[in-house]
Amino acid sequence: MNRDNLISIFHFIILLFLQSFLLNNINFFGFINPNLYLLFIIVYRLNGNATILIILGFLLGLMLDLLTQGSGGHTIATLTIAFLRQFIIKFSFGVNFEVPLGMIEGSLLSQRLLYLILMILIHHLLLFIVIYFSLDNTLTILKNTLFTSFFTFILIYISLGLFKEKND
Amino acid sequence: MRQLINALLKYKNTLLYSGLLIISLTFLYQRSFFHQSIFSNTALIISSSFKLVGENVFKYMSLNKRNEKLLNENIKLKALELIHFTKQLPENKVIDTFDFQVFGARIIKNSYNNARNYLMIDKGYQDGIEVEMGVISSDGVLGIINQVTANFSSVISILNRDVKINAGFKKNGAYGSLSWKGNHPKRMKLDDVSTLNHVMLGDTIVTGGMSDYFPHGIPIGKVFSFEKPEIEGYYDIEIELFSNLTQKKIVYVLKNKKKFELNQLKNESR
Repeated sequence: MNRDNLISIFHFIILLFLQSFLLNNINFFGFINPNLYLLFIIVYRLNGNATILIILGFLLGLMLDLLTQGSGGHTIATLTIAFLRQFIIKFSFGVNFEVPLGMIEGSLLSQRLLYLILMILIHHLLLFIVIYFSLDNTLTILKNTLFTSFFTFILIYISLGLFKEKND
Repeated sequence: MRQLINALLKYKNTLLYSGLLIISLTFLYQRSFFHQSIFSNTALIISSSFKLVGENVFKYMSLNKRNEKLLNENIKLKALELIHFTKQLPENKVIDTFDFQVFGARIIKNSYNNARNYLMIDKGYQDGIEVEMGVISSDGVLGIINQVTANFSSVISILNRDVKINAGFKKNGAYGSLSWKGNHPKRMKLDDVSTLNHVMLGDTIVTGGMSDYFPHGIPIGKVFSFEKPEIEGYYDIEIELFSNLTQKKIVYVLKNKKKFELNQLKNESR
């Protein structure tokens, strides 16, 4: 049990409870609930064990669904994004990204933004596709994905800044 | 073996992901009725399209057999049709065991928008029609003959506020009297049904057989709505008629062959 693992567990629990008891009840404009818990998967060590991340992502989504009486959309979306993360990292930071950094610092701003946006958009798209699960609601899915992603992005970006200050 | 393990290790993330995805899909299926219905619907579509292909092939193989079957059926039906026509020609022929004699007639005038509605049919006493015979249509009760001329008769429609018909429940025989309140040509009221009986929406109402006009068991309608009053012992039931009395053309007049006997008995017991 090193320090990184402890921090991960701490993140996991804090984000899970924050998401299920606070953020899921915001209903901004009636339908926008930012999904801050995605931060856990985003800030997980870039060179960390992908297998463990997949299991953790699955557990995170499952617990969130159980806590919020969700149908199972969070489970599938979070599991998938945890699986896809390695490919998204390679795509955003370049194929040869092997620098053992704990955080995303030290890379270009554009690369970081690309990484964040890809992670958030794919996750939200999956989430809403599973929740609505019908072709008739394509517009609703796209609308929800876009707006919720936007607010999630803002929240995550702010939180990333907070983490940075703490670490300094 | 070693290669197999190596391959497994190489793709362990993908395998793990697929496994967990299946688990979460199961979870989704278990938790959400909506998703469950979509999954089973998709499964149904897939399986039915496969079955359809098989069914089509099978059908094609058995066309000969089917043709033969259809031919046999047609022969039978043709025979029935001929019997039917020959029976129809002498118009007043009846099945002997039936207590009622049946006459066919055509409506020449019909009204349904008054409070007291009458119909006219193109058969009179020359054809054997008498006063106080029941008139039915192909799918329900129509009325009672009240005046007869040589070639025409007038029928009091059941859509008449003065007429009351004995009717009851098909399921248990509980009976009451059926009357029209004068507002809607498909709605009637069934009164005098005791609250001892159990009534459900959609129960079939048939003629009761206690009147001399109609035999027992002609379907009339079904329960549309009902109320159980707190104090009185009788239901307040609204019936929706099966037949649309506003678009009838052909009717059947029923003559009760034992009416004379019945009346005699009634008079004696008075």
